[in-house]
Amino acid sequence: MARLRNVAVVGFAQAPIVARDEHRIATEMLYPEIRRALAACGVERDAIDYQVAGSADYLDGRPFGFVTALDVMGAWPPRQDLHLEMDAAFAAYYAWVRMQAGDCDTALVCGYGKTSEGEPRRVLNLQLDPYYHAAIGLEPVATAALQASAYMARTGVTDRDLAAVAARNRGAGARNPDAQLRAPATAEELLRTPWAVEPLREGYLPPVGESAVCLVLAAEGKAEAMCDQPAWIHGADQRIELQTLGARDLTRSAGATLAAEKALAMAGVGRAGDIDVVELCATTPAEELILCDALGLEAHASSLSPSGGPLCGHPIMMTGLIRLGEAFRQVSGRARARRALAHAAQGHCLQHNLFFVLGAERRWA
Amino acid sequence: MKRPVAVVGVGQTHHASRRSDVSIPGLVREAVDRALLDAGLEHADIDAVVMGKAPDQLEGVMQPEQFLAGAVGAHLKPLVRVHTAGSVGASTALTAVTHVASGLFERVLTVAWEKQSEGNAMWALSPNLPFTPPLVAGAGGFFAPFCRAYMARTGCPPHIGPVVAANARANAGRNEYAHLREPITVEDVMQSPVLWDPIRYLETCPSSDGACALVVASAEAARKGPRKPAWVKAGYSYAEAMWVPGRDQVNPQAGRRCAQAVYERAGIRDPWKEIQVVEMYVPFAWFEPMWLENLGFCDLGEGWKVVDRGEQKFGAHLPVNPSGGVLCTNPIGASGMLRLGEAALQVMGRAGARQVPGVRNALGHAYGGGAQYFAMWLVSDEP
Repeated sequence: MARLRNVAVVGFAQAPIVARDEHRIATEMLYPEIRRALAACGVERDAIDYQVAGSADYLDGRPFGFVTALDVMGAWPPRQDLHLEMDAAFAAYYAWVRMQAGDCDTALVCGYGKTSEGEPRRVLNLQLDPYYHAAIGLEPVATAALQASAYMARTGVTDRDLAAVAARNRGAGARNPDAQLRAPATAEELLRTPWAVEPLREGYLPPVGESAVCLVLAAEGKAEAMCDQPAWIHGADQRIELQTLGARDLTRSAGATLAAEKALAMAGVGRAGDIDVVELCATTPAEELILCDALGLEAHASSLSPSGGPLCGHPIMMTGLIRLGEAFRQVSGRARARRALAHAAQGHCLQHNLFFVLGAERRWA
Repeated sequence: MKRPVAVVGVGQTHHASRRSDVSIPGLVREAVDRALLDAGLEHADIDAVVMGKAPDQLEGVMQPEQFLAGAVGAHLKPLVRVHTAGSVGASTALTAVTHVASGLFERVLTVAWEKQSEGNAMWALSPNLPFTPPLVAGAGGFFAPFCRAYMARTGCPPHIGPVVAANARANAGRNEYAHLREPITVEDVMQSPVLWDPIRYLETCPSSDGACALVVASAEAARKGPRKPAWVKAGYSYAEAMWVPGRDQVNPQAGRRCAQAVYERAGIRDPWKEIQVVEMYVPFAWFEPMWLENLGFCDLGEGWKVVDRGEQKFGAHLPVNPSGGVLCTNPIGASGMLRLGEAALQVMGRAGARQVPGVRNALGHAYGGGAQYFAMWLVSDEP
């Protein structure tokens, strides 16, 4: 692996995930998080070279919803800027690529959007192939149920196993002040919740939630002054697969396998099992098990998603970036993890996967 | 940038108001296939894909790159989807350039598209928001006051818009891919109805179906290609806030800064003397003189005089939009990439009947939002 530029996550702020913030629009939710993230880094907006955001017009219910975020991101005087119609974790990925190109040293990464203003299941139906998939009414819970039942058929995993995965996440979420679901739940309790779409029960799925997130990246030379313990990016990789449900094996994630392999190789890590903490962007227990298979990790391992993961809070378009923020907290906060793996995914049935490997030490000398 | 980047393939579709002969994937694939063929490459040679388009509401598919992953050959590759309003085609190409400049990728495919016939852009661009007076009917309603302000500020006479529109059509006549190619006279434009004062029907861009794709590559990869590449000397995208006192949408700061950054990086001291052709984003005719000033080709208040003297015509000192530009072809998401791709074709010397002779440096430019997003690149015939 060629020597790359050492770039670190140096700041992160997140609005606690709530079912609905009645009193604030998306940009009002975002602004205080930008201020908090910059304050934590001890800098003002002028210290940031580049800004990139992730959001979706369809969540906003209008075209160009992201334009209004320019005002709270501080685009005056005009700034170098980009907006991705993706989970903001991909905005962080691109900011990292951009910093590798060498013409910026610091970047602001924002994710925002009011999931509660529409009906996410109906909205996300529109992601599907308009000619064949969307028209028959498939939506993310239905596609996830197809995936879960295929996985159960292939592996023999049972309803009880799914409940156990969900219960472990709920237990972890109870310790996360930013989580939406903070009451722990046992597998027995979750097993009694009704089907959402069989074999997925209501208790196995995230509730509708919204938040706003800001993350700050800085390159070596700037990062040290902005953070006592920067979380250095040791590796990053992302892969998309075909959307067509019949064209891929839904019980395995080829994209997650490949992206993790590349990110770990970049980080010089032999296997995911050598990582202290793994934050997974799994929106169902079946997805979590598929990701564990892809990473070669033991299901139910104690290193998995100490935040409670998306099952305890899933603000669409920023759920992935929150995983990166949580990994930063593990490396930079009191836990002082040596290395953390952050996963982000978007699209139906884990279509598009992204991994970051973070570490407490610089990767490249 | 850490290392030089070149454009090695350019592809575009034939543009029309309704490409009912192809699906969305078919349309996108048409441009991708042409760009790869042009570069002498196959999908297997591509390391990553960067896609851009304007609001997803225009076709009614959310994040359509997800269902188009197969059509653009992105399966098991990195993919990034950009959306920066009207400037998106240009900022998408620049995102691909950054991928290569980073040293992480050798050859990146970038594609931008819009299939406006799948929806109704006028509806999609007329949002009715709570607590906001519904005064904006499409982009023209938003931009017309700035055209009027430009006229008031500079004394730009009423025939300038029609001159720009007629010239754009004359240019599109030489571009086999353009959507509107029938010649029109200045008189025709004058006689066409006013849609949003002062913008007349024939001073307005059409709604088009179309796509554009480019392959960008490292210097090493570019030199292995079958053709002379276009070298990206500089490229930047800037944005400015919406609600700021002192903003000037007639001569936006973000546009000036972006152009300045590009010229500085590319070593251009006098754009009027050193740039031989410009492809700029002119969705309404009056923006051509405004951008001539904003991009530093002339002093403030002089843009309309450049047009009046005919110095922007094909064969004159600084041909503006020899492709016919946005006024003749407007698949919104692709319009910015078409500007950058046309600029690349000009320095490659492969722009066909619309080729301007002796182009060393060409500027490609796009803007979007409420004149807030600017993205441009300067390409040259040598590194």
